[in-house]
Amino acid sequence: MTESDTPRNGPIEVRLQGIRKSFAGVEVLHGIALDVQGGEVVALLGENGAGKSTTIKILSGEYPAEAGTIWVDGVVADLRGPRDAHELGIRVIHQEFNDAPDLTVAENLHLGELVATRGIVRWSRVRRNAKEALARIGVDIDVDTAVGTLGVAQRQVVEIVRALMRRARLLILDEPTSALSDTEANRLFDLIRSLRADGVAIVYITHRLDELEAIADRVAVFRDGDVALPATPFCDLSRGDIVAAMVGDAGVGSAGAVYESTRGQGDVVLTLDGVDVGDDVRDVGFEVRAGQITVLFGRVGCGTLELAQAIFGLRKVTGGSISIRGRIAPTSPRRAIASGVGYVSPDRKKRGLLTGLGAAENLTVASWPRVAQRGVLAPQRLRRIFDRWSSELDIAAVGGPRQRIETLSGGNQQKVILGRWLERDAEILVLVEPTRGVDVRARTEIYHQIETAVSKGTAAVVVSSDVDEVIRLAGQVHVVVAGSIVETFIEGAELSRAVLVEAAGKSEAAVRC
Amino acid sequence: MRHRVVDSWRQRVAASPPEFVLMGFLVALVAYFTSRSDVFFTTNNLRNILLSVAVLGILAAPQTMLVISGNVDLSVGSLAALSGIWMADITEGGSLTTGVVLALVMGIAIGAANGALVTWLGVNSLIVTLGGFSIFRGMARLISNGQTIRIEGFRWLGSGEVVGIPAQVLIFILVVVVAGFAMRYTVFGRSVYALGSNPQAARLAGISVRRNIFLLFIASGVAAAFAGLILTSQLRAASPNAALGLELSVVAAVVLGGASLAGGRGSIIGAALGVFIIGTLNNGLTLISVSSFWQDIARGAVLIIAVALDQVRLKIGGET
Repeated sequence: MTESDTPRNGPIEVRLQGIRKSFAGVEVLHGIALDVQGGEVVALLGENGAGKSTTIKILSGEYPAEAGTIWVDGVVADLRGPRDAHELGIRVIHQEFNDAPDLTVAENLHLGELVATRGIVRWSRVRRNAKEALARIGVDIDVDTAVGTLGVAQRQVVEIVRALMRRARLLILDEPTSALSDTEANRLFDLIRSLRADGVAIVYITHRLDELEAIADRVAVFRDGDVALPATPFCDLSRGDIVAAMVGDAGVGSAGAVYESTRGQGDVVLTLDGVDVGDDVRDVGFEVRAGQITVLFGRVGCGTLELAQAIFGLRKVTGGSISIRGRIAPTSPRRAIASGVGYVSPDRKKRGLLTGLGAAENLTVASWPRVAQRGVLAPQRLRRIFDRWSSELDIAAVGGPRQRIETLSGGNQQKVILGRWLERDAEILVLVEPTRGVDVRARTEIYHQIETAVSKGTAAVVVSSDVDEVIRLAGQVHVVVAGSIVETFIEGAELSRAVLVEAAGKSEAAVRC
Repeated sequence: MRHRVVDSWRQRVAASPPEFVLMGFLVALVAYFTSRSDVFFTTNNLRNILLSVAVLGILAAPQTMLVISGNVDLSVGSLAALSGIWMADITEGGSLTTGVVLALVMGIAIGAANGALVTWLGVNSLIVTLGGFSIFRGMARLISNGQTIRIEGFRWLGSGEVVGIPAQVLIFILVVVVAGFAMRYTVFGRSVYALGSNPQAARLAGISVRRNIFLLFIASGVAAAFAGLILTSQLRAASPNAALGLELSVVAAVVLGGASLAGGRGSIIGAALGVFIIGTLNNGLTLISVSSFWQDIARGAVLIIAVALDQVRLKIGGET
């Protein structure tokens, strides 16, 4: 903690060997090996539940390993807590921020280490240090603003700078781009590259294969608690090698399956007519038919989320109208659900999961009024419903229907939430980034379930910023830029990454997104 | 299908419901007092304990629901006093029935007011009910002019019996059973857990967060009014100083029972055990002639130790 601790400055060298770890009696890491040196970026890939998070928690001292060794600079490291890891220069930047949102940038950068003389904070030095640290990596953030008012990208930068100010030599970034726009992500890559040039070691966890080219020196893939692909120089790998390592032998065949359009054209169930939602959505109109997938494709922050929220009654329509089967759409989620709409939020943790409650309850919650008999919920009924969907959706819950939802892997959590609306028999499914933070196998399963529901007459509205997802879903695609539809591809149209990226980029220069 | 993977003592400890721990604690207390006092483990004394905790228990059930929902009602003690005074005041000038009915109606109205402030105006429940805590006590003293109001012919609630069981104990048991069932098996109860654990997610799943919390405050208001009637019946008089500090014992019992003030966690059975622990402690400490000053200290210590132990239990299992 104190400045007098032996400073270790040169490039770090970290090696993990034979790391094992179990939870609830189930071994989740079966002898992980990984190494990383100062001045390189090692990308770590793997499905949810592959063991990435557990490994970095062990490396950062949050969990003790049950077996195996960690060497730092050639010396065996005994990490008994995050503090030990910090002293060695190992820092994790989590997806969830570990900052104090109400305090200023300057104070956050000094959190726990305020410059003080005899207990009196020296604000001028705190501010100057903060400004210098930010200037050193070339970012322009006002040190006097409260961190909570910054955007995700800037907050992340503040966290990174905070780690650097504490002499971080190994930065572990856990899916840092999952909430960033493309421009912001590119700026982050620039920052990562300059840190690498300064000799910092970086472990970069991601689901996005596209990012590898931009930053990865070496790529390692975990699968089911094992190393499926030991860290290998990126240039020696093809995309196919990486995907194969991620999905294993079983997944390869189905991963890229092309959807055949056999959907019938049903009645129009949802009509948007000249819809405005504040400043976020402008004059959007389209129709959605039963048995059809409609995709709203746009970059994060382009109004697609707000549009989806408006359909679910979460946002006020400020112009035009949204109607469901000819009737004006309700203005609250509860009434929207009553008129047959289901909504999957992009923020699973904050707006999806009922933490502390069991998987079965999470799956059935929207159907309770129907499942209950005179207000009473029979546990065995919930269990039956859960068992049915858990085999249908292939939900892996070792603890059964009562396993607490937050202890499932991301992919399984998402399946439970999707199941919530499938069980509810939602006629209109509004899914926002339904496969965000979800592994390849669960992703395939989720697409399959969406298609099954649609073939039974459900209308699906999918908001996505993922080009591959848009192509995979093969529905009617509306490309949204800055709150307006700029192009529409009818169902069955020839879609390619190039076509979509071009459409989304089309007016981006003209209308700032 | 195996629904629970339990294979080490750590998991076993962590997976054990907090109720087991509380049960063990209660048994230990009973064993201790039995060994220290000849009078403790007698039918008569156990009956005394039950009688002394009935009111606490009737209040603890709705309070537990509120705490699970992420709220708290600190106005119950003052409201109980106001209810007694209000009833006695009306009875003096009218009929007993009118008094009882109007006291309960007042409980509903005040509960609804608390609930409306919390849900529709979004004022924190701690603040709203802390305000009520002061207001209702003041109203009780104002109406009664600070004096105790004697009342005749209203004895059944406080000293009546059904097949040898005191009426208030029966009511306490009934409340616990109904509330316990509701929280475990009904849509309402499960919705309360859901909205307490994550209000945003609950809302998006179609649960009416505000309506449910509103109903909980009404339940709490009615229970407090009813508790005031029982206390008045016991004393055969309504005192504006009745139930002084009771709200703290209620919250203590609820928290002792494993409820989290952050919401989402807790149980009625746990709270009932918490009530018994507090009752046993009060009774036992008095029997072995511990001074009332030390009793206060002991009660506080037990609360902290029990909650701390529960955290240790969770930590052993690797949860936070």
